[in-house]
Amino acid sequence: MKSAFLFPGQGSQYVGMLHDLPNNKEVKEIIEVATDLLKVKISDLDNETALRKTKAVQLSLLICGVASFEIFKQERAIPDYVAGHSVGAFSAAVASGVLSFEDALKIVSLRGELMETFYDSGFGMGVVLGLDESKLQQIVEQVHSDLQPVYVSNRNAPTQLTISGSINGIQKVIDFSQRAGAMSAKLLNVSTPSHCPLFDEVSYELLKALNEVEINRPKIPYSSNLRARLLRRGEDIKEDLAFSISRPVLWHDATNVLYENGVRLFIEIPPKEVLSKLAMNAFPESRCMAVSKSGFDDCIYILQN
Amino acid sequence: MVLINDLNKKSWTTRHDAKKKRIESVQNLVDGVIIPTTKIVEALEKLIQPGDRVVLEGNNQKQASFLSQSLVQVNPKKVHDLHMIISSISRPEHLDIFEEGIARKIDFSYAGPQSLRIAQMIEDGKIELGDLHTYIELYGRLFVDLIPSVALVAADKADRHGNLYSGPNTEETPTLVEATAFRDGIVIVQVNEIVDELPRVDIPSSWVDFIVVADQPYELEPLFTRDPRHITDIQILQAMMVIRGIYEKHGVKSLNHGIGFNTAAIELLLPTYAESLGLKGKICTNWVLNPHPTLIPAIESGWVESVHCFGGELGMEKYVEARRDVFFTGKDGSLRSNRTLAQLAGQYAVDLFIGSTLQMDALGNSSTVTKGRVAGYGGAPNMGHDPGGRRHSSNAWYDLMTSDEPLARGKKLVVQVAETFQEANKPVFVESLDAIKVKDQAKLAVAPVMIYGEDVTHVVTEEGIAYLYKSDSSAERREMIASIAGVTPIGMEHNPKTAERLRERGLIATPEDLKIRRADAKRSLLAAKNIDELVQLSGGLYTPPAKFRSW
Repeated sequence: MKSAFLFPGQGSQYVGMLHDLPNNKEVKEIIEVATDLLKVKISDLDNETALRKTKAVQLSLLICGVASFEIFKQERAIPDYVAGHSVGAFSAAVASGVLSFEDALKIVSLRGELMETFYDSGFGMGVVLGLDESKLQQIVEQVHSDLQPVYVSNRNAPTQLTISGSINGIQKVIDFSQRAGAMSAKLLNVSTPSHCPLFDEVSYELLKALNEVEINRPKIPYSSNLRARLLRRGEDIKEDLAFSISRPVLWHDATNVLYENGVRLFIEIPPKEVLSKLAMNAFPESRCMAVSKSGFDDCIYILQN
Repeated sequence: MVLINDLNKKSWTTRHDAKKKRIESVQNLVDGVIIPTTKIVEALEKLIQPGDRVVLEGNNQKQASFLSQSLVQVNPKKVHDLHMIISSISRPEHLDIFEEGIARKIDFSYAGPQSLRIAQMIEDGKIELGDLHTYIELYGRLFVDLIPSVALVAADKADRHGNLYSGPNTEETPTLVEATAFRDGIVIVQVNEIVDELPRVDIPSSWVDFIVVADQPYELEPLFTRDPRHITDIQILQAMMVIRGIYEKHGVKSLNHGIGFNTAAIELLLPTYAESLGLKGKICTNWVLNPHPTLIPAIESGWVESVHCFGGELGMEKYVEARRDVFFTGKDGSLRSNRTLAQLAGQYAVDLFIGSTLQMDALGNSSTVTKGRVAGYGGAPNMGHDPGGRRHSSNAWYDLMTSDEPLARGKKLVVQVAETFQEANKPVFVESLDAIKVKDQAKLAVAPVMIYGEDVTHVVTEEGIAYLYKSDSSAERREMIASIAGVTPIGMEHNPKTAERLRERGLIATPEDLKIRRADAKRSLLAAKNIDELVQLSGGLYTPPAKFRSW
């Protein structure tokens, strides 16, 4: 039975998430590297005020993902594949050995800073449940304009899609979606229009920064955000990391490719259990676990047996 | 004279000579016809040559999984550019051999379990697509322009001479072996075990070159097991309509049922609802279908005269053996299936094909494709059309004759069942099929339409039945479909007056017209409401796979 680790992205954070990690050597080392490099205390990252800023959220998720992976690695519990949603892809890249943790911290800091500076409060994201992609695309095309940009962004499940852009545009798409029979359509508590072309420039800046760091061949194949392909070359993963923020995350397809490659055990790395729930719905015959729910010991045991 | 001399020099046994050479090349590895399990990769590297056409047994249920896992381990420097023929692309390594550079081109029928990967690989130029086929077409081409150089297939048991027992899951093995063996190709068979005496011989040793004992039994999928717990009231209503408005009306005696819950509901209503209508012996007596567990109640209550199977079904082996009056069985007692012959029977010899659709356009063309996926066809289009070559008559076939011209003929019944909306408010009835987009994305020659509108004789929704065969006018057929399409884009076109006129002329029928009360469509009508009850009705002979056990 093949296995895959799923690393969550923004939305899964919660106050105190780094303090909930096991208090062991692996975690301590990772946190020490991070606090030294970032020159912050760990409690400055996962407190309520800090987590209002995307940079702290993204760094906390990266630290949490990598520290958790180290716990598995220590037990030689290594999956066949990795995939990460949005910023989670950086944790996946570190886990597969493409990027050092230090470099990932630098790039994710930059990613957070750039995202915070580009747009004001008039931008964000929404989520629509119960409409399929072609229907939502039709609605978005009706609403979208230069003054009121809005895009279909992440494909989390066939009928769980996000929209990104101007708040005005998102609000209109939400209204139309509700009238078109969506089960639910609402604004997300996110102040950045992620995963749409409004962040093209962020991608180019990230690519520049990624070109300056060492990129290795992945030790574990990585399922990509942009094109939902299994990537086995460092250069391809570098591109995926840079452009994911300005393109939709094809999450459903990215996990489907893992399933078609034989994965029947999906383990979600902390925090929370958003991605394992999506996997459970998409692949009812697979085993889907979340470390945050089952704990490290159980997940390690299942992976090794 | 010169000409005759030249002719005399020409060899007419090049294929046979080449085969002898290949077989000699592995003499140091093999023991008679037996390839030792651990030597299989090495043997494949010698027996298969670059550019070979290799037919690999991977079908709906049975998979030559040990041989496919071995093929992906060969050295691509030695074995490459293979042209694979796989009826059902089901396992990851079926496509891994392309990623590894071992194979280049594919011809197939069905790729449902790998439909995203194959679409991506076509888009990325990692796989050269020959064509998408129906089963019968692909099997046919094995004897014409896709003749295999090597066959990699699976059987249950072999004896030391290479005679094979393939048992309940004989499926397509004889066809693949025949096409290869009788054109001097090489036939390699994985078996679960070698025994002194076989229960029966399904394939004789003279068709077989090598056998290898697999490290694990071949993979077998319980594809046709439907848990009655998941059957809905709407499916029961539709099943009642089909029984009254189609099976009873036309006297349908021979038929095929597919994999859907819709048809499972019909099977489970035969001993209850249909029995109460006095239809026993008048409909549904002769079947072409897999040993569906949901057919157990109908068999037990004496509805079923015969069943011919494409393949076996996991857990049904003992039940089938104990009901040999109904099933095709060997001297040993176990089921004999044959996918090629069952497909032919389903194409030419039955009154009716019925299947579910996910999408249908205004003219009745239907498709099950999804954007970004290439799933292929399987066997539905073989059975879901009116075969022009048919010459024999049956009551149901004859009943569909709509003219009294001297050369008038009957028609195969092709029924499509759909609920007007799928999950997520997705209308089934649409202006344009997604298949057209998929054609462009995957650069296919033709749009992957499962059943063509011109072949469809009946469409059934929760609103009613459209008797499409009664009209030659495409405008009128469109009106008929619109009248039962609910509030979908197509359904919104129709006006109530038209529907009234169509009802009066008998072109459409509502449940009320068929004297069916919607309130009666309840799960209590099902002859078995869950897997446990199927087991009980089988007298404990049916042993469902673990994942279907609820107790």
